[in-house]
Formats: sequence, C-alpha cells, structure tokens
Amino acid sequence: MVTSTPDISPTADPAPAKQPATKRAYPGALVVVEGIDGSGKSTQLYLLKRWLEIGGYRTHFTEWNSSPLVKSATRRGKQRRLLTPTTFSLLHAADFADRCERQIMPLLHGGYLVLADRYIYTAFARDGARGCSPHWLRNLYSFAPAPDITFYFRAPLDVAVNRILAGRPKLKYYEAGMDLGISLDRSESFRIFQERILNNYDQMVETDHFVLMDGTVRVNKLQKLMRQIVGEKISLQQFAPKKK
Amino acid sequence: MKRSNKKVLAAVPANGRPAKTKSKKAATAVPPSRFYGTPLPGVKPEELSGTLIVIEGTDGSGRSTQIYLLTEWLESQGFAVQTMGLRRSYLVGEDIDALLAENAVTPMTLALMYSTDFFDQLERRILPALRSGLVVLADRYIFTLIARAAVRGIARDYLHGIYEIALRPDLTFWLNVRPEVAFDREFKKSQTISYWESGRDMSLSNDLFQSFIRYQSMIKREFEYLSKRHGFLELDGESSVSRVNQVLRTRIASHLGIRSTQYKPSHALSHLWR
Repeated sequence: MVTSTPDISPTADPAPAKQPATKRAYPGALVVVEGIDGSGKSTQLYLLKRWLEIGGYRTHFTEWNSSPLVKSATRRGKQRRLLTPTTFSLLHAADFADRCERQIMPLLHGGYLVLADRYIYTAFARDGARGCSPHWLRNLYSFAPAPDITFYFRAPLDVAVNRILAGRPKLKYYEAGMDLGISLDRSESFRIFQERILNNYDQMVETDHFVLMDGTVRVNKLQKLMRQIVGEKISLQQFAPKKK
Repeated sequence: MKRSNKKVLAAVPANGRPAKTKSKKAATAVPPSRFYGTPLPGVKPEELSGTLIVIEGTDGSGRSTQIYLLTEWLESQGFAVQTMGLRRSYLVGEDIDALLAENAVTPMTLALMYSTDFFDQLERRILPALRSGLVVLADRYIFTLIARAAVRGIARDYLHGIYEIALRPDLTFWLNVRPEVAFDREFKKSQTISYWESGRDMSLSNDLFQSFIRYQSMIKREFEYLSKRHGFLELDGESSVSRVNQVLRTRIASHLGIRSTQYKPSHALSHLWR
C-alpha cells in the first residue's frame, strides 16, 4: 500500500493496466458467464446451477447489479437520467464491491463454487463502450478475484439483438445506450451500442482467457459442453456433498 | 478573471513556509494539465475558465468557517462562487448517509459510493460552474476520500487510479490541526463525538477519546504524505480564524489578480470572526 510516486499524473511513467489478482488464497472456485444481451448466457448458467444444485454441490449464484445497498441510487439515477459514463460505472463498481466483500469473497474462502451471471468484463465492455478509459476501468475492478473459468457466449449481433427486441415491448434508456446520443431511435441505438460491446468482448478473448461458447448451438447441446468443461477445469469433488 | 502564471504562484511561500511545488518534471516537460490523468469522458479542459480552490483538513480544522468567510469576501469582490463538499450529491448523498447510519457497509463499497458522490458533483455542478468562469470553493476534495480509504487498508495507488480522471485544483490549502485540538473543537460543537469521526468502525479503542485521537492521527499521517505528493499549501489551523483567513485571502488574491485583501465580515458572519 506504500508508494513513492510523486503525482497521480501518468505522463511520466504510466503503470501497466492492472489484471485481476491471480493468486488463489481460498479453497472455493469462481465460474462466470459473459456476453451481450441475448447471447444465451443466463439460460446456460441457470442450467449449470440446476445441475450442481440437484447434485447437492456447495454452490452460490450471484448476479450483476443486484446489491440492495446501492439499489435506490441506481434507480434514481436511471429514472432521472442523471448518470454520466463515470458515475454509471462507479455506481456499478460500488454494487459489485458490496457483493464481492459480503458474498463472493466470504463464499470463496468458505469453499463454495460461486457462479456469476456477468462479472467485471461486463463493466470493461459496457463502460468502455460508453467512453470510460480501459486503463481506469481495469484499476477500478482490480480488487476482484480472477475467475477459474470465464465462459464467453457469443452470438451474431442480429441473432442476439432480435432475441431481445422480440421479447421486450420497450427498451430502457440506459439499456439502449440512449445516453450516448448515437441515435434517437431506441432499437437502432441499442443495436449500435451492443455492437460496440461485442467488439470490446472480442478483444478480451485472449487477454482474459475466455472460453468461447457458440450461442447459436442448441441449448441442451451447449449445456452438455459447458458441464464437460466445468468438470475438466474444476475438481468438482471438493464441492460435492460430504458422505458420512 | 485572470488565470495568471501558475508556475510562479506555486513558488510563493505560504505562511512562511516554502511552498512545495508540484512535480518539477511535469512543470518543465508539459504545461500543467487541469487533470491528473486522462480527463473525464466528454470534458474539454480548455473550456474550464473558472478557478478551483480546495480547503482540506480534518473535522474541527475550521474549513467550513473559512469557506463562509471566503465566499462573502469573493462575492464582495465581484466573483461568483460555487461550493462543493462531501455527501452533497443529488445522486447518492442521502444513500451514503443511510449507509453510514447502518454501519453495515464495507470499506471498498463505501469508498466507491464516496467516489460516485464526488464525480456526480464534479460533473453536474462543478464543471458547469468552471465553464462559466466561477470560483469553486471545495470543502474537502479527493484527498480526504483517499486518506479515509487508505487508513482502512485500500491501496493508495488504487485510490489515485480512481481519481486520476478528476480535475486538479488550482490551489489546495491544508488546515493542519493536532488531533487533540480537533477533539476539543468538535466536542464543543456537538457535545459528543460521532462514530465515523472517531473511526469506531476500525476497532482502534473502546474509549471514544483514544479512538478519535488514534484515528485522526492516522488520517493526519496520510495527509502529510498527500501534502508532499500534491503540493498542498499547509496552514496552521490552530491560529485564529481571522489570521487563517488573512493568509487564505492573500494567496487567493494573488492567484485571481485581486489587488486588495482588506476584508471585515458583515454582521451576518461576525460571530465567526474570532
């Protein structure tokens, strides 16, 4: 925590963008799913969760943007459209920090298999598309534990966007990226916003060791593959119910 | 309003002490930037014609009193003033109050809620004010937020990373007081000492006085470090209100190009003049 840098200014010697800590100081494991809206990630994580629950494994499911602590602020900000790219990002980071400090970390230390629907890469992709600097975002989330597996569900933009537009009467303001002023038409704005997010995700595939999943493959077939990968990469035995 | 030669002004001694200049490298190699790092998304630094003046110091250092007086003085000189402070944002100000009342919040979450509060004020109140050429008086700034989070174990580099997109103040004053003096002043003000001001969340001591002193001493050490890193203009916060105000006025007047530093508070504020 001690540093001797004379100024905040990165002009002299910019520090490299920070990666999440890789050292595992806990017996638990973390599996996350990422991807744009409509890529099928939530369905797949739900099925994975059911598989583990039915098998009696010690597991916990956590969702992006779900901490009750910052809920009222997020609601107020979104309703009145007060959020800038920076405050939007910070509010989600506060939400994540609350879940990280009060759920994810204690559960990882307690030996749970934690399943996360969206993780820090959502912030990197989405807030980056809003104009936040990637370097700043990496630092902001540098306290997050690195996942054991990051599944990246990738579906062609048209497929994903049509899945969302078909099921939703009206897109919300921030969801559609209306704050970016790309287009006055919500569906059009949503499409361009999602495209930017998709491009940002694609750029992280190698650097962040994503496991690429084809979101157009049939649900049960894809789930079979997902379970197989989890079985290979994580020793599930340690989360299994203890036999007396 | 004049935004005259900052480099020369930075070398003017304040309160008899040689001013600590900001990074010399930055002063010679690149013109002093209005931001520490990458500016906030969508902000053009050249549009900001106003002046940002920060008053830092622990609880009981006399910040608020000085800001009342400086506001009156600047307005009497024809300068429009905007103020900012902690937990005053529309977005999350009340939410932080609620979190603090519950004591259930963890350090990282609190630090990020404070940063949300800070940037909401900066982007929606302060930057528009600076674009209109106002003088902004900040009752605390990123430095208190960094110090409080750092004593709770959050890495200083991490915190500086969050605030590198913030605006660099034109002048940062630090009203330095000993923790014992701050205790006396705070106790006199409210007849008690608050949970957070005494760092009770850190389990330093069950005795409120001991806890306050130890916590404020830790904060003070962070400020000593920040003062060197960011070139604070350090003032003796224990001298009289009128004396501190005189030093502040002199320094601000030279920055803004105000000739006279004469000032006597109006009847409305005369009770503050001790």
